[in-house]
Amino acid sequence: MDTIHDLGGRQGFGRVDTHEKEEAFHSDWEARIYGTVRAMTRPGDWSIDWFRHCRELTPPVDYLTRNYYDQWLQAYAAMLVNSGYASVEEIVAGKAAGPAPDAPPPMTGEFVRTTAKNVAIIAERDCETPPAYAPGDKVTVRSAGAPGHTRLPAYLRGRRGVVEAYRGTHILPDANALGEERAEPLYTVGFNAANLWPDAEDSRDRMYADMWESYFEPV
Amino acid sequence: MTKHDSRKIQQIHEELHSHLPPEPALRAKALESLLVEKGLVDPQAIETWIEVYSEEIGPKRGAKVVARAWRDPAFKALLLEDGTKAIAQFDFVGHGGGHLKVLENTDKLHNMVVCTLCSCYPISVLGVPPNWYKTAAYRARAIREPRAVLKEFGVELDGETEVRVWDSTSELRYLVLPQRPDGTDGWDEDRLAAIVTRNSMIGTERDLGPGKGNG
Repeated sequence: MDTIHDLGGRQGFGRVDTHEKEEAFHSDWEARIYGTVRAMTRPGDWSIDWFRHCRELTPPVDYLTRNYYDQWLQAYAAMLVNSGYASVEEIVAGKAAGPAPDAPPPMTGEFVRTTAKNVAIIAERDCETPPAYAPGDKVTVRSAGAPGHTRLPAYLRGRRGVVEAYRGTHILPDANALGEERAEPLYTVGFNAANLWPDAEDSRDRMYADMWESYFEPV
Repeated sequence: MTKHDSRKIQQIHEELHSHLPPEPALRAKALESLLVEKGLVDPQAIETWIEVYSEEIGPKRGAKVVARAWRDPAFKALLLEDGTKAIAQFDFVGHGGGHLKVLENTDKLHNMVVCTLCSCYPISVLGVPPNWYKTAAYRARAIREPRAVLKEFGVELDGETEVRVWDSTSELRYLVLPQRPDGTDGWDEDRLAAIVTRNSMIGTERDLGPGKGNG
């Protein structure tokens, strides 16, 4: 979907705050949201891509003006309501009106310390389709967007690039966000700056993105 | 079973937008209290996550990896070949470390990492990302005018240096391997690690040197 999150190349934004203090959290509530969200019960079908999609659907004004962890809060609140674990009224009040039916039990502090903090997302899965492209191949990115979640940024649509590397077969986010886990060949693709931007700073610069095979126009 | 319905999520967001308390601290408190009361989070797990990411998992991990790569050619070769396998030597595999790719800076090449679509970042070696990395300004501009953004970070590139910007659109995570500064011959790993900054591993800093860094 063409939601507000797809920011690559958008113009009109100001300077980057380069003097931010180097600490993990800048306020107590940022840390509380981080801890709460990481510790929260989640059913198996709350994939990373479903979370991303729910965050992308945040009203644009909130997306652009709220602090990052505050956006997390709103995305997870929406997911909790959608899954029937809490109502909007309960989240607003911070008080339970009833139990959360069928919710899996939450992780313990001990589990975080011994296990959860060392768990990586492994996105590689088996896939019967062999990769159609190899490093050095020229590809053209699909010009159409997607009806739901996608990791194909708008600034790359319709552009021509060169396969830099084949990365194996990875879970396709577009399907995973809908609860369907299937893999596709994944590539890192390089693009000339001058091919992407009318005001490219230096024609030798290159931009790279990871792209699944269905993100390309068929040959 | 979760219903993966975009329209329904959008409607819930609209309700939340209208009714959530105006202050983020109040929203945070309300959510935490509710989830604890409902038994959906264990308060001890909240404390542990905060502690782990405030103290244990942060850019000092990445700095150790870089320092070892500077001193040990075999480790550097492994790091560039298979970042995840290399950081496993330190027990640093964790969130965002499952498919780690390392990008080496050279005299003529500068690498820089962005996530234009959200905030993807090699958390298990750098900790939680800085706010600026997650801002609309950085996400919009780094991919289009990296040299202008680098200048704001104090990095001036000569006309000979090519910039490569890596947009983290998959579960691959990118870590920049900065160049070892002159004048550090014979330094041990700890001393080298102390001059490796977080930003140099994201690619918004280039020239490291004695007197800079986390140490």
